[in-house]
Amino acid sequence: MKSILEIKNLSVGYNGGLALEDVSFSVAPGERVAIVGPNGAGKSTLFKVLAGLLRPRSGKILHDQVEIGYVTQRSSVDWGFPVTVFDVVLMGRIGKIGWLRWQRSIDREIAHRSLEQVGMAEYADHQIGELSGGQQQRIFIARALAQEAELMLMDEPFSGVDLPSQEAIMGILDRLHESSITVMVSTHDINMAVERFDKIALLNRRLVVFGQPQEVMSSEKLVDAYGGKALLRGEDYAMLLGDIDCCGEREHQHD
Amino acid sequence: MTDILQLITQPLAYPFMLRGLLASLLVGTLCATIGSFVVLRGMAFFGDALAHAILPGIAVAYLLAVNIFWGALVMGLFTAIGIGYLSQRSQIKEDTAIGVIFAASFALGVALLSTVETYSVDLTHILFGDVLSVSTADLWLIAGLGMVVFLVVFFLYKELLVVSFDPVLAATLHLPLNALNYLLLLLIAMTIVVSLQTVGVALLVAMLVTPAATAYLLTQRLWKMMLLGALIGAFSSVTGLYISFYINVPSGAAVVLVSTFLFVLGFLFSPRKGLITTYWRGRRVAKKEAHDRTHPYTA
Repeated sequence: MKSILEIKNLSVGYNGGLALEDVSFSVAPGERVAIVGPNGAGKSTLFKVLAGLLRPRSGKILHDQVEIGYVTQRSSVDWGFPVTVFDVVLMGRIGKIGWLRWQRSIDREIAHRSLEQVGMAEYADHQIGELSGGQQQRIFIARALAQEAELMLMDEPFSGVDLPSQEAIMGILDRLHESSITVMVSTHDINMAVERFDKIALLNRRLVVFGQPQEVMSSEKLVDAYGGKALLRGEDYAMLLGDIDCCGEREHQHD
Repeated sequence: MTDILQLITQPLAYPFMLRGLLASLLVGTLCATIGSFVVLRGMAFFGDALAHAILPGIAVAYLLAVNIFWGALVMGLFTAIGIGYLSQRSQIKEDTAIGVIFAASFALGVALLSTVETYSVDLTHILFGDVLSVSTADLWLIAGLGMVVFLVVFFLYKELLVVSFDPVLAATLHLPLNALNYLLLLLIAMTIVVSLQTVGVALLVAMLVTPAATAYLLTQRLWKMMLLGALIGAFSSVTGLYISFYINVPSGAAVVLVSTFLFVLGFLFSPRKGLITTYWRGRRVAKKEAHDRTHPYTA
């Protein structure tokens, strides 16, 4: 099958060293890919490059003008800003509306439908600061839906979010899969990645291993990525011990 | 009743007062509209600095005997771009860069103005505004430039909103982030230039920030904040002008004091964010809880 996204020998550096080195893999349309790795492994960096916020130092990212939706970690906006939930979702339509124009009724319809899809329609008129962490995460997913994203990048959607919201986000992921939207999610919870995703990319600055969950779990390289802190349990599952939960490194922040 | 009406209409018999009133209305609405972005993006210091940094432009225009508008406009646009560039490209922090440029520019302006004989009178007018000296030509300039700013905000509302709220989304949508940020700096500069004559350099930042901040306390959407801010700005400007007419204080000072008074009201009594409102709400909830505890079966 033709891939929707192809990453070839991608290297990305900040001022000093490389945050990502020689990463290559490709994603098929409709696939669910989990990017798994410890903190500082370059997960957020990978998404930033894909979303066009960072320039790669070398290598290529190939896709056919795919609309990319990027759901960042929650902390990045001012929650006191005078915008309602609906306003935020409507922002996803800006590219489709075009310059010098105001939103049309179709944009409002699509924004409303997107809110319904993430189960947040009743909150449309709330100011965004009134929402819980998980709800905030969901309206940003709705915004990417309103954008009509074909490839959706979600950076740590499960961290710092209560359990009901985690399940709601899981449900949304399933629905995205049904409507064949390609999804890439970064997480450090490898159990969840194994259970819920089609492919796993194990990242630790370099791509340690990429493949279906079984392949990844049976690979000896899993232990390499986590510095010997992964413990194999049974055939398919791994339980992770030690300090990979959070945080200590400056690559990203939770609140 | 007729007395009050007379108090309001009497000053309007003077053409200079009528012109001042129109100028105040325009400036009040314009400042609050652009001021909404200034408040939300934390650019109050930038606005204050820009107003002061315009002084050399005014001084040169004054010495060359052309309308000070043009001097202020050229200087304002240059300084806005200069500060934007410096804070992006240099190792110095943004507020330090602003501090350096603004003080230097203001000093240069004072030095230039001091060569004029009527120096102290002129400087006072520039610093604190002299709305009653607005000429018909000035009024046209204020209206023209103000209209340009309003139109740009109207047609680029959604883009300006998204670069202010979520630059990351703006970048993923391939919006020209840099260009929009510079555009906003230019809009602020134009607003400042237009407002110079009514409130003056020293108090301009209050017109940008105070009505918009009051509106921020009372609204939950940007366009409502802009509309309400504009209303508050216009009301403060007109009221301030009357106060200045009757008790002979500089118009700029009167306008700023009125808008500050409204801000304090909003700060204390805003339904959602007010200090006293939230305190009373807290008390009522606590009382109700205490009541429910002591009378468990009446609920």
